[in-house]
Amino acid sequence: MKARTEVLLFAGFIAVFAAAPAVAPLVQLDISIVSEVLVTAIAVMSVNLLLGYTGLPAFGNAAYFGLGAYGAALSVKYLGVHFIEAVLIGMVSAFLGGLILAPFLLRRRGIYFGLLSIAFGQVFYFIAYRATDVTGGEDGMNIVRPYLGLPAAHVTLNEQSFYYLALVVFVVALFAFRGVVRSPFGRTLIAIRQNEARVRFLGLNTDRFIFVALLISATMAGVSGALFALLINFAYPLELDWHQSGYFVLSMILGGAGTVWGSLVGAFIYVIGKDIISTITPLWQIFLGALFVACVLGFPRGILGTISLLGRRRGTPSGTDVSAALESQAPTGASRGV
Amino acid sequence: MASETILLDASHVSKSFGGLRAVDDVSMQVREGTIHALIGPNGAGKTTFFNAVSGYALPESGRVTFKGEDVTRTVNWKRIAMGMGRTFQTPSVFPDLTVDENVRLGVRAHAKQAFLLRTPQGAAAQAVDARVDELLGFVKLTAQRDRPVSELAHGSQRLVEIAMSLSTDPVLVLLDEPMAGLAEAETDRIMGVIRDLRTRLGLTVLFVEHNMRVVLSLAESITVLDRGKMLAEGTPAEIAGNEAVRSAYLGTEVLEHV
Repeated sequence: MKARTEVLLFAGFIAVFAAAPAVAPLVQLDISIVSEVLVTAIAVMSVNLLLGYTGLPAFGNAAYFGLGAYGAALSVKYLGVHFIEAVLIGMVSAFLGGLILAPFLLRRRGIYFGLLSIAFGQVFYFIAYRATDVTGGEDGMNIVRPYLGLPAAHVTLNEQSFYYLALVVFVVALFAFRGVVRSPFGRTLIAIRQNEARVRFLGLNTDRFIFVALLISATMAGVSGALFALLINFAYPLELDWHQSGYFVLSMILGGAGTVWGSLVGAFIYVIGKDIISTITPLWQIFLGALFVACVLGFPRGILGTISLLGRRRGTPSGTDVSAALESQAPTGASRGV
Repeated sequence: MASETILLDASHVSKSFGGLRAVDDVSMQVREGTIHALIGPNGAGKTTFFNAVSGYALPESGRVTFKGEDVTRTVNWKRIAMGMGRTFQTPSVFPDLTVDENVRLGVRAHAKQAFLLRTPQGAAAQAVDARVDELLGFVKLTAQRDRPVSELAHGSQRLVEIAMSLSTDPVLVLLDEPMAGLAEAETDRIMGVIRDLRTRLGLTVLFVEHNMRVVLSLAESITVLDRGKMLAEGTPAEIAGNEAVRSAYLGTEVLEHV
């Protein structure tokens, strides 16, 4: 993407989203739904880093999302921490979760990585589900949104100020994400997706790159989960469930795997679509599924990936054909512990 | 330039796939500064042996030493740091990236810049630029540097891969069927580059090849495999005159119309 296009895009994004609290009521949209879009987009980015850029089927990122959510909710409920502390605790919980799971995951590739990710996610799901005394089990746990904490110790966030906070966190996450994927490190992740054997035969230990990518991804998902729990003042086991992981993957593919802005587009369609359609019919997943099928068959690079493909004059398009990304899982010696 | 120093020493290497013994107790040595060919009919175990030597897939038994060090169980990316480079039968490149970007990736990897969160500036960047220019000049692809590799002819893609394998400053280059699927003119072009690897860069080359014209004109030593076993070893003249090689190998040559 050209620098000028990107500046314009970013300016447009800020203009639209800064005005959202004023505009949303006009279209009968609750501002907290728009907050949910921004918060979800961070989790979608976390999946995008692993699946869209590195080519690893991150089918279990709800584990980190849920760890963030429960990390925040439990610390608010039992430790009485403030908002900012709760988000940081959620983030660190997810990071530690990633640190524990990464050694098991980082040598797996393709479907083995995907299945193992799901399995680990389900372990956390059942812990949250069973530990009724602490987490409220299936009923989930209510929390009261705490004071913001330093620097404004006694400010409680209403829906509008929460929204602006989420916008700031999202922008920070977006720039961090963009910085990572455009750095030499990010380029190496893309190279691993395209041809891991070649990267190893350039003398790079690809496992080490995947380890770092996993930790970044887990941390981002944790921030998202923590904000989500504080947004709805509630934490429940389904946040850790593999369905939740699936929604992140779906949103990423819809928006455009391997594109910086695709995660926001995908999260927007998923969250707003769910909100609108579920007021009409409880079968909203059918529509989501149909959209997904149309996307994979018609524009596998997702919305932004397709736009950039159509708009390119020369050079290489951004975005990843997800089906191709998943197919290119040739053995590399890595999966055999070589 | 050829010395008596053994650079690569594989002894009693074996590897099976299920019941098939793809490489059966093969021993061979590559002397420093030579061009050494590994030939044999399809299914002789050449690529499997190559994979064992380069660490792509480890052997079940046997021993591989490189520069006098035992590397039998060494992970593949560490062998690269020790000075091995390799190419694959199907050019293993990044098709969406340009020629320049492909080679640059290798140079950056070798300059330990692959992990950075910021692109290096100044002297570090200039050193990378200079090395990329040098490698592209070596394989004579400077004119095509800004084209995506997928747009290049097959032979040029091979050259991109050779340039990438050189980006890590190897002393031994392993080339897996560098001429497969190429027209005569392209074959000659790559033959020239392989000769340059030895004469201009002083590297040692071990290559797998089917094309006997290429093998006999390039190689100083030839090892022949057949059905996983070593059949013969010697100079081109010795191999061309070897009866066992003729019956096992040259028969299939005719079938393949090479």
